[in-house]
Parts: sequence; C-alpha cells; structure tokens
Amino acid sequence: MAFPLLKVSNLKKHYSHKKGILQANKQSDSIIPAVDDISFDLGVNETLGLVGESGCGKTTTGKSILKLTSSSSGSIVYKNTDITLLNEKDFRPYRKDMQMIFQDLDAALNPKVRIRDVLREAITVHHKNMSAGEIKDKTEHLISLVNLKKSKLDNRSSELSGGEKRRVGIARVLAVEPKFIVADEPTSALDVSIQAQVVNLMRDLQNEFKLSYLFISHDLQLVEILSHRVAVMYLGRIVEMGPSMEVANRPLHPYTAILWSSLHDGNQKEAQTAGSQEANWGVFDFERPSTGCRFAPRCPVYLKKGKPSACTDPENEPLLNNTTQEHQVACHFPLG
Amino acid sequence: MNTAEHLKIEDLHTYFYSNVKRAFIHSVNGVSLTVNKGETLGIVGESGSGKSISMLSTMGLINAAPGVLQGEVTLHTKQGSESLLKGLDQFVKIDIQDKRIISVKKDLNAWNKQVENNMKHIRGKEISMIFQNPKAAMNPYETIGKQIVEMVLLHTELRNKHEAKEKAVYWLERVKIDSPQWRFDNHPFGLSGGMCQRAMVAMALSSEPSLLIADEPTTGLDATIQSKIIDLLAELQQELGITMVLISHDISVISRLSDNIAVMYSGTVMEQGPAKAVLDVNSDKTHPYTQALLSSVPEEHNLLANGHLKSIDGEVPDTIDIPAGCRFYARCKMKHSGIEKQCHHENPPFQEISPGHRVRCWLRIN
Repeated sequence: MAFPLLKVSNLKKHYSHKKGILQANKQSDSIIPAVDDISFDLGVNETLGLVGESGCGKTTTGKSILKLTSSSSGSIVYKNTDITLLNEKDFRPYRKDMQMIFQDLDAALNPKVRIRDVLREAITVHHKNMSAGEIKDKTEHLISLVNLKKSKLDNRSSELSGGEKRRVGIARVLAVEPKFIVADEPTSALDVSIQAQVVNLMRDLQNEFKLSYLFISHDLQLVEILSHRVAVMYLGRIVEMGPSMEVANRPLHPYTAILWSSLHDGNQKEAQTAGSQEANWGVFDFERPSTGCRFAPRCPVYLKKGKPSACTDPENEPLLNNTTQEHQVACHFPLG
Repeated sequence: MNTAEHLKIEDLHTYFYSNVKRAFIHSVNGVSLTVNKGETLGIVGESGSGKSISMLSTMGLINAAPGVLQGEVTLHTKQGSESLLKGLDQFVKIDIQDKRIISVKKDLNAWNKQVENNMKHIRGKEISMIFQNPKAAMNPYETIGKQIVEMVLLHTELRNKHEAKEKAVYWLERVKIDSPQWRFDNHPFGLSGGMCQRAMVAMALSSEPSLLIADEPTTGLDATIQSKIIDLLAELQQELGITMVLISHDISVISRLSDNIAVMYSGTVMEQGPAKAVLDVNSDKTHPYTQALLSSVPEEHNLLANGHLKSIDGEVPDTIDIPAGCRFYARCKMKHSGIEKQCHHENPPFQEISPGHRVRCWLRIN
C-alpha cells in the first residue's frame, strides 16, 4: 500500500451518560463506548468505506478524526504528526487539509445565505489576502467543478434541490483545497439517479485532486463500488477490514455476511450464508455490551456451534488479526 | 367492470399554486392507475414526480387550494363501488384560457365537508396509510399502545377497552415487536427507527383495512432493517390478503414486493405493467426512463469503463411549464434523429404494447 496519509491507532471515544438526581443512588454514571479501540490507515488517493448499522459509531469515528469531537484516547497521525496532541491553534493549519461533507445539508447550510457567500466564507478563512476579483474567480471555478450553473451562486440554499445542495456542500469543502475528506452519508436521502451523479462527481474530483476519502455509509452497494477498502463496524469496533470486492464477495465475519445478504436482490449471496436469516435480531444496546465477542448474542455461527465458551469469554474478545494482512477479521470462528 | 379491480384512478389532476413563481404547479397530470384485489402495485419515480401527491389526492388529504381539480377515483368495497371524489366539482370554478389555468375559485369549506362525507367510512376502515417518517406521523405525547387502541376503537367492532388493548398487543406481536406487552407502554421516541416503523404498520393494520398504502416505508432505515420491513410487509400481505400500494424512489425495494409496477415521471405515469416486464433490463419494449432508473442502481454491472455509474443527467423538470412533447425528452438518451422531432413536439399516448403493459414513448409505439 502507498505511504499512509492517515494512521489511526487504538482510537476510543467514550461518552458518559450521567444519571439524573432521582437515579443518583442507583448506579454510577455509565460509559457509552461509541468508538472502542479502532485502528486503520488510509493511503493517498485511497477510499476507505466505513459501513455498519446506525448507532455503531461510524459518524463519531469521522468526527473524532477531524477533532470535531475530542477523542478519549488513541492516536491519529496525519502526515507524521500526531494531531491528537495539538491544541486548537496548532491544529488550525491541518483543518485546511481535512474536511467533512456532512450528512444533513439542510442543517449544514444556512438557508438564508446566498451560495456565493457560503463559498466566499470558506475561501477567505484560509486565504485572508485574496482580492475581491480573485475570490469571484475562485467561487465561479468551484461551482463549475461541481457541475452547477453560475446562476446558482445567487440562489439561497433553501431554493436548491437536494442534489444541488449536496454539490454546494462538496464545493464548499473543496474551497480550502483539502487532501483528506470525511464523507458522511453523502448520498443518503437522494434519488438513485441523483445519487449516481454525486458519486460520479466524487470519483472525478478524487482523480483530479488526488483526494483520500473516508466514506461513511450504510448503503453497502455504494460502498462496495466506490471504496478501495472497506471496514465493517459493529458496536464501536471494526470487525472486518479488507479490499472491498473481497469483503463483499468473500466475507469472513458472520456479521458482514448478514449485512451483505440483506441487500435487496442478493439472492445468490443469501444462499451462501444460509441460516443467517434466523439470527437473533434483538435490540442491541451500547450500555450493556455482552462479555467477550459483542456480536455473539446475534451471531448465527455462535448459535450453530452450540454457544462455544470462547465467544463469551470476557478475557478473550476477538481482535483484528495481524495488521500486515490485507483482509482482516475479528472473529473466533471466521467463515470461508 | 372487472370484478378483481380494487382501486381505479382515472385521469387525476392535482394542482398547487406557487406564490413565489405566481403560477400553477401541475403536480399530478392525468394519472390513471388500476390496483387489483390482493395485488401489490409499486409506484416508483424520482422525488417530485407526483407519487405521493397522487395517493394523497386519492385519500382526499390535499387541503391546499386548488388541489384536486379533475379525475375519478373508484373504490370497490364489499358493499359495492364507491366514488371517492363524487360531488366535489360543484365547489370549484376553473377559468381556462388556451389550455392554461388562469384562475381557480374554490369553496374550501363546502369542499372539505364533502370530502369528509365521502371519506369518513373509507379512511382507516377501507384504506390505511403508512407514512415515510413514522416518528412524525405518530403523536409523540401518547404511547404507541394507546394510539393503536384508538384506531381499534374507532374503526372496528370492538367497543370494550380491554378487548381493544388485547387486539393492540396482538397487532404489535403480529409485526414482530419484541415483548409487545411491555412495548405497548412505550412512546414513539423510545423506539428505534425500525421498531417505530413496525408500530406504524401495526397501527395501519389494526383497523383491518382492505387496502394499504405504504409511502416510502423503508426510506431512512439501515439495509438490514429495511430488508426486515420489506419481508414483514410481504408476509402480512400474504396472510391477510390485503391489497397494497407501495410508493418508493428505490427501484430495488419496489422490485422485491410488487406484482405490478407504475413508473412515474413529472406528474404522469410513463409505464405501467407486470413487474417482470417492466424490470426486464434486456427488454427493448420498456420506457427509456425505466431503463435509466434501473441502470443507475449502484451495482457492479452498471459501472462504466471509467468506474462511473450510469447516471441520468439533468433533473426532473418542474411542472409549471410542461413541454409540449415528451416530458423525458431533455434527459432521454435513446432519442434519435428519426423520431426526435415527434418526441420534441408531441406528447406520446399511453399505449398498450402487450397485455397489461402500457408505455408512454414514441420509440416503443413506432
């Protein structure tokens, strides 16, 4: 693999959940391990897809890496600098390199500000000495990069359609010329046809500017075709990571197999993981992770093998095996 | 009349008025659909194509003026046929010049009263709806159990509260909610998205309707949960023998459940027919728009050589200035010099190309 642009090691983000006054004497504050000890690296011009069900910690991972929320422990090394140790002032130059495309653009764009001003603001934050003419040229260049008409610059975001807002969101991110972009569900709530346009745009921009993406999505089909590598998350942990085609076609972790088999038309894949449909899909709860493997309570393999003790051994939670291997899995009884 | 018909919509027109653009928006433009008893009709199309609005019009849920101006909706119930829009046109005066609406005068109070009269024994009892966002559709201040009990008391024979509660728990169990006795007392915010959608399904079915309209029932849910909800809907439909209208922009969801599919674009139905015929990727009979929708689904075989997805360039046109020709003309990749003039200037008729399969495209007619 290419020289890693970003190296995340043992990243943890624990939220504490304070009990109210009335519950004070019941239990001490509980800890919610939203992101629990995850490690991965990302090369230049590479896309890592991060998939999992809602609430598994995908977005929190993205936000922690960009220091939009503080991490509890672990290190994030960006171009040989551990950014977790930097204070806000020292981190400021790095902000320019690392950006995020937010999930909900209705919330991320001010509905009353014209698109021209949205982009100008983003440009001037890091280029304080630009003249008005230069700024105008740059905004027009940005809007053409994302295939929007120049006339849209005078619209307010409330006047744009979902697909157009998405493009403005991308243009705003590109304004600071980043190297690494966290794309948080960039196509959720878009029609398939518009989704295809946005995905094509992201791919073009990646090739043009040598961008690296951390692509967060619960749309497995999309992740499969857009990412070079995929990491599957479950309850704050990465349970499987590897080249996307391999993870999709030859899943090793039972959870990955179930995820992919739940694709709408995955009939042939469903057959591969026969029996997985009977998995116990009870509610999962962050506050009470089971001892040992966290997936065990829902795992078809665990049930099929007659509940082996290794899976629930609190001392022996499965870890991602040797990091030099391309395709890694955290499971005592991997498939395949 | 075909005895198997359940709901028939003919030439439905719904308008809105845009204060900003000072123009009438023709959201539903002559939609005709037929749903047969016990079958599932899937309606697919991009946002703004009029899928939801045509179903809301059918239910009499469009309050804004001018609203539904034209059309005929017939529901066949056990008691006989019923026209859902009857007597409404007497409250509307439309001024049309050069085929354009200049002004609409509507007696809104009388209109609403008539809608109430037409619909009060239909809504819930005959037709139920599942909405896209279950948390917004439920009352956040009431427990889900209480809301279901309300439905049961209002729409079924049961008048006893205890029996109604038992019935509500039965429906919660039916939609596979864990420990329904306990969940009965949960508020909507205490449930996850998937569970809330299940409760919504329970609520819709608790009035024992014969027709269920599901508007984007899986949008915004995870792949695993989405799959479960679809399975649940399919299973319940089979067991209860109800008719279903499923609205979604996701053609893969539609393809899993539907017997018949209607493809909508810019306020009209572009294609309607048996699911197999409509979804046939290799067919040279389907509408170019349907083909474009199918090929923009992110799957390996839809990738171009440069790694791009096949997309439909451009966006859905607004329905204020409707072009004279085919609505899909501007985005169509299959128009060719032979018929281009016709496509540009004449609106193609909705023509039957094989039994039950109708397409609105010059390419398929010639």
